[in-house]
Amino acid sequence: MSSDVVVELDGVRKCFGPRVIFDDVSLSVHRSEVVAVIGPSGAGKSTLIRCINQLNTFEKGVIRVLGHEVYGTEEGRPPLRRDDLRRLRTEIGMVFQTFNLFPHLSVMKNVMLAPQRVKGRSEAEAAAQAQELLEMIGLSHRKDAYPRQLSGGEQQRVAICRALAMEPEVMLFDEPTSMLDPELVGEVLAAIRRLAVDGMTMILVTHEMMFAKEIADTVVVVADGGIAEMGPAKEVLSTPKTERARSFLERVLLHTGGDTGPQAAASEGGFDAASGGFDDPTLSWSREVDEKGLR
Amino acid sequence: MTVQLASILGLWGSYLPSFMRGLVITMEITGLGLAVAVVLGAILAGFKLSKFKALRVIATVYVDIIRSIPVLVLLFLAYYGLGQLGLTLSGIASATAALGAFYAALLCEIFRGGVQGVERGQREAADALGLGRVSGFVRVILPQAVLRILPPSTNQLSNIIKDSSLVVTIGVADLMARSYEASATTFEPMDMFVLAGLIYMALYLVIARAIGRWELNVQRRRG
Amino acid sequence: MSAITLYTGAMLQGAVITLELTAGATVVSLIAGAAGAVGRLYGPRTLKAFIFGYVETIRGLPAILQLFILYFGLTQFGIDVPAYWAAFIWLCLYGTGYAIEIFRAGLQGIPEGQHEATAALGLTRFEAMRRVIIPQAWVAMLPALTNFVVLELKNTTLVYFIGVQDIMFHARLGVSNSGQPLAIYGIAALIYIVLNGTISRVGGILEKRAAIAS
Ligand SMILES: Nc1ncnc2c1ncn2[C@@H]1O[C@H](COP(=O)(O)OP(=O)(O)OP(=O)(O)O)[C@@H](O)[C@H]1O
Ligand SMILES: [Mg+2]
Repeated sequence: MSSDVVVELDGVRKCFGPRVIFDDVSLSVHRSEVVAVIGPSGAGKSTLIRCINQLNTFEKGVIRVLGHEVYGTEEGRPPLRRDDLRRLRTEIGMVFQTFNLFPHLSVMKNVMLAPQRVKGRSEAEAAAQAQELLEMIGLSHRKDAYPRQLSGGEQQRVAICRALAMEPEVMLFDEPTSMLDPELVGEVLAAIRRLAVDGMTMILVTHEMMFAKEIADTVVVVADGGIAEMGPAKEVLSTPKTERARSFLERVLLHTGGDTGPQAAASEGGFDAASGGFDDPTLSWSREVDEKGLR
Repeated sequence: MTVQLASILGLWGSYLPSFMRGLVITMEITGLGLAVAVVLGAILAGFKLSKFKALRVIATVYVDIIRSIPVLVLLFLAYYGLGQLGLTLSGIASATAALGAFYAALLCEIFRGGVQGVERGQREAADALGLGRVSGFVRVILPQAVLRILPPSTNQLSNIIKDSSLVVTIGVADLMARSYEASATTFEPMDMFVLAGLIYMALYLVIARAIGRWELNVQRRRG
Repeated sequence: MSAITLYTGAMLQGAVITLELTAGATVVSLIAGAAGAVGRLYGPRTLKAFIFGYVETIRGLPAILQLFILYFGLTQFGIDVPAYWAAFIWLCLYGTGYAIEIFRAGLQGIPEGQHEATAALGLTRFEAMRRVIIPQAWVAMLPALTNFVVLELKNTTLVYFIGVQDIMFHARLGVSNSGQPLAIYGIAALIYIVLNGTISRVGGILEKRAAIAS
């Protein structure tokens, strides 16, 4: 495992009962790399990233996250000790499709909980850190609100802060915008984009093809029980090599208005307008994306 | 061990006919109490859903008060208290009144919740189609409410079965009373109570299963 | 009239016993019920099965039959429990069965996503329970817990039958001495309405407060 590999999957097979969801999946994610996982519904994208932080177990192969190693249940190794599992999970931040904020805690407390209880931070330290994160994401004015008083987009941004508060080495996103009203998608994508710019290592399951193309270094197409295609984002998305990836992309691009042409421009315009609603005026997405492109 | 078992089974065998006659009375009280509770509960639920404030208040007061009186107190009021007013009720009639009055309050809430739970849109759809208030209720709302009402009502039915045993205190020879008497005559109280317990459990299981099957049928028919 | 005041006083004395039994049994039942629910949900298979059987038995048998089993039934084996303790133990056993169900439903009602979120953050099971799951379950369970206390209080009416001197005991004594069942049982009903009404009111206030807090 080369030193800058953060997450590595090697020959992973996942079954639910007798059904094999995917098999022989291998993948390396380097530091500061952004990997977009795309593919048809039910292909196993969520399951794949949930295996990385062991919300799902898997049967065969091994997953390495920094120094931690998790073997499949049928590899004949002793199962991970509970403490090791927790340590592994503290390296990984996860953002769920359904936000899963703690409804009985205020925004602040949602963000502070894990640093206090897992990392043993003092209340003051945790509060200062939460304040900083919420400011970064443009939600510090909502810090005393409860989750149900927030819009979906705000909830998801708090969920991102909550995960970031653990200072994870890698972030997992499972369709973070698919439960949101269209006009709220932009603010969440903007937050994710900012993390990418700051060099966060990320694995992102998404149906937002335009966004994947813009932000991801690598695109992984999951289909038919494995990785159908994987490679640099622009290549995979514009000139897929495998038939499976091509047919999938054709189908989704039909819905998003295609790769080029007036419709794509329109959808990108709407996109910018939405992210313009983001609270932090110092952030200029287009410039930073350009810088990133040069990197 | 086997000798003991044989003697218990022998004892059970000799008391079973008497217990079964008691079971008939238990079922009678349960059935009558349930009938009163359903009818009165439905009326009260109608009151609660009515647009007349007076009716809503009456139902609310009734439900709140009756719910906080123990069934045993209601039973004594019916059996002894009404007699003082010249309205002497038999033990079974008193039990019917007490159980009916009490469980009407609980069923009222279940019925109301079930009807209100059916989306408002359904009512509007029925109105839009020009179904009258009554036929809209009978043909659209009620069939959907039934599925919400049944499970909690089954629960209450099992409570009525169990509470029917309170008549042991007023000398009605139901299953409970017979096991109590038999325990005094045999000096083997545990054996008698266990037999009664098994019969109560069996009765409950049979009824719950029957209702469960009906429920499943309704659901299946609707896909 | 004086007979009625006399027996009303006695019933109020009985109310002390009634409340004592209710409060004691409620505390024991809630503690045992919480432990039982955790065992029922997360324990080893045999424990789960045992607790399931226990709950179903308690819920399946008439209350008075359970009391009789404890008080009369055990004498068959030479076990002679004093009436007051038989009453108390029965209320605890009965209450535990119902409390397990309330806690189980409360814990199970918390969406899976909440458990996953705590796991993803690396919280220990204990911390997750304490900081996230139980605080939420608690709010959802409050109405059921209020009903639970009312149920236990109503159950105490049965203990007069084995000679415990609760409200009902004095009511029956009063009726047989004065021949005024309507008035005396009416007053008994009133006492129960006040007691249960108070419990419901307190429960309602707690619910409101919990709702505001979250
Ligand atoms: N807990 C489970 N038990 C059994 N089968 C499951 C479970 N979770 C997921 N599956 C199945 O595994 C397959 C992959 O599911 P997964 O949620 O990973 O798909 P996905 O690619 O994320 O789809 P989507 O785009 O709809 O989110 C699906 O067919 C699903 O039905
Ligand atoms: Mg998914």
